[in-house]
Amino acid sequence: MKDDVCIRDLEKSFGGFKAVNKLSLRVKHGEIYGLLGPNGAGKTTVIKILCGLLRPSSGEAYVLDMKLPDPSVAPHVGYMPQELAMYRGLTVHENLAFYGEVFGLSKQQIDTREQALLKLIDLQASRDTLVDQLSGGMQHRTSLACALLHEPQLLFLDEPTVGVDPDLRASFWQYFEELRDSGITILITTHYMDEARHCDRIGFMREGRLIAEGSPQELLELTHTDSLEDAFLSYSRTGGPA
Amino acid sequence: MKVSRVFAVTKRVFWDIKNDRRTRVLIFVAPLLVMILFGVAFTGNVKDVRVIVVNNDTAAASSSLSDKIISNFDTSTLNVAYSNSESDAIGQVQNGSAYAVIAFPSTFTQSVEARASGQTSIPQENVTVSILADKSNVNVANPIIAAVNNAVVQTTQGQGHQPPVSVDSSNAIYGANAQFIDTFVPGIVSVAVWQITMLLTLIAFVGERTSGTLSRLLASPLKESELVTGYAVAFGAIGAAQSAVLLAVAVLLFHITIVGNVFLSFGVIALLAIVAEGLGILLSSFARREAQAVQFLPFVVLPAFLLSGVFWPIEAIPEWLQPVSYLLPTTYAVEAVRSVNLRGWGLDKIYPDVVALLIFAGVFLVLATILLRRRE
Repeated sequence: MKDDVCIRDLEKSFGGFKAVNKLSLRVKHGEIYGLLGPNGAGKTTVIKILCGLLRPSSGEAYVLDMKLPDPSVAPHVGYMPQELAMYRGLTVHENLAFYGEVFGLSKQQIDTREQALLKLIDLQASRDTLVDQLSGGMQHRTSLACALLHEPQLLFLDEPTVGVDPDLRASFWQYFEELRDSGITILITTHYMDEARHCDRIGFMREGRLIAEGSPQELLELTHTDSLEDAFLSYSRTGGPA
Repeated sequence: MKVSRVFAVTKRVFWDIKNDRRTRVLIFVAPLLVMILFGVAFTGNVKDVRVIVVNNDTAAASSSLSDKIISNFDTSTLNVAYSNSESDAIGQVQNGSAYAVIAFPSTFTQSVEARASGQTSIPQENVTVSILADKSNVNVANPIIAAVNNAVVQTTQGQGHQPPVSVDSSNAIYGANAQFIDTFVPGIVSVAVWQITMLLTLIAFVGERTSGTLSRLLASPLKESELVTGYAVAFGAIGAAQSAVLLAVAVLLFHITIVGNVFLSFGVIALLAIVAEGLGILLSSFARREAQAVQFLPFVVLPAFLLSGVFWPIEAIPEWLQPVSYLLPTTYAVEAVRSVNLRGWGLDKIYPDVVALLIFAGVFLVLATILLRRRE
């Protein structure tokens, strides 16, 4: 199976601080890969490098077989930043239309995709509401729709579930699984350990390093724990698998 | 650079304005209010200033020169009261109930006539109208002095005494009927567009940075140059529309003179708005929050207001400060719009100003693009 993301010995320093330290990982085509770790572990930095927003200090990264930095990656990738990343003074439709036009979609494509996405996230009634007037959960759903409009092959979701209530979090994971089943590869970061059980594979990050990797089941078995949180703590104490 | 993506950005800026009434008020109503306030305040002449005349002239009323001068006073400017005592009159100025004492010496008529018939031994003080004015407000004192001077000239000419030299400035090369407001409206338009475009850009770009939309855009096929250009097109168009509204109101309310091609002046203002947008993007990168960005405004707006020739000419600014004036883009816009409106100049004559603005715009837009493209 081919890898949609391939990172080798990636390092990123900010001044003297090493945010990412000799990180290597692969995200296989069609899987949900969860990058887990506490705040400050370097998850967002990895995503930003993969989106071309930051330059690696050393090491290399490939996205869809293109070596970064490469502007031809952008049309195939969907990015949902940690912030909502929408124009609050614009309606849901205007936000979607703007991002659609930026990705070179025709008016017809935008309309078709918009209808499908608004149905998926159950926001058809709010199409012409200003983002500012939406509830927090609705804003999160719209932000996801903005990342999906141009039908990317690969999704980078940076903490998409922070500040999201449990109901919506459940439906978010349902969307993610549906997207994966339709052939989209997803790299997601989170510090909610329990929700990572939905991922196909998980990488534990701590202080810029990958300290463990595997399917949720494998990680639980290897550490003889019942929850991913305990599994993470077990690796965090020993510094790596036994 | 792809035109469709540039226009996507432009359209988005317009959507923002369409949805937000406050921004529309800021763009169109705020500069109008400023212009109307300045227009109303500065077009009025000084009126009804109370002055005390102390006429010690002993000549008979029928031949009295001092009475004739007093009768020639412009009574819309001067509100004339009389007193027999100079010290009492000075007292009234001192307690603020009058602005000036106008005193005639006791042998005034007699001395003037003696001089006119060739007697040179008459002392100057005997033929002098003295004005003891409260000069704490020069804008009041100067019109008093001018009104008295005019009355003296008018009276002596009426007596058949022609001055040896005369000056005629009634045939103007440009701006024959120009008032002060004609001179400062181009400045108000320029500074208003400069300030508002700067404010809108700062808020928009700090917003793009903090809300994450800039990250999303930089991870999309949109190029940095397309983002900067899209905003430039939007703000250029808004600047042109602002100047159209301002000039239209200035013509309707204050009947200002416009002899040149107004579309040329709209174009100049659009260019100035683009310069402001470029500089605004650069400044926005030094601010983490909108509140911090707004703190830049006084530094950008006050020099433009004071040093770019809006109200007083750059020639009146101390020489060591003049280079600052020539570093301000508004200086060139004010000069160009004024030349178009009042002198009727075309692009063939204002091109140095336009080239200066083009250079500012080019430098700022390129720097803004480089700044956005920079990756840590």
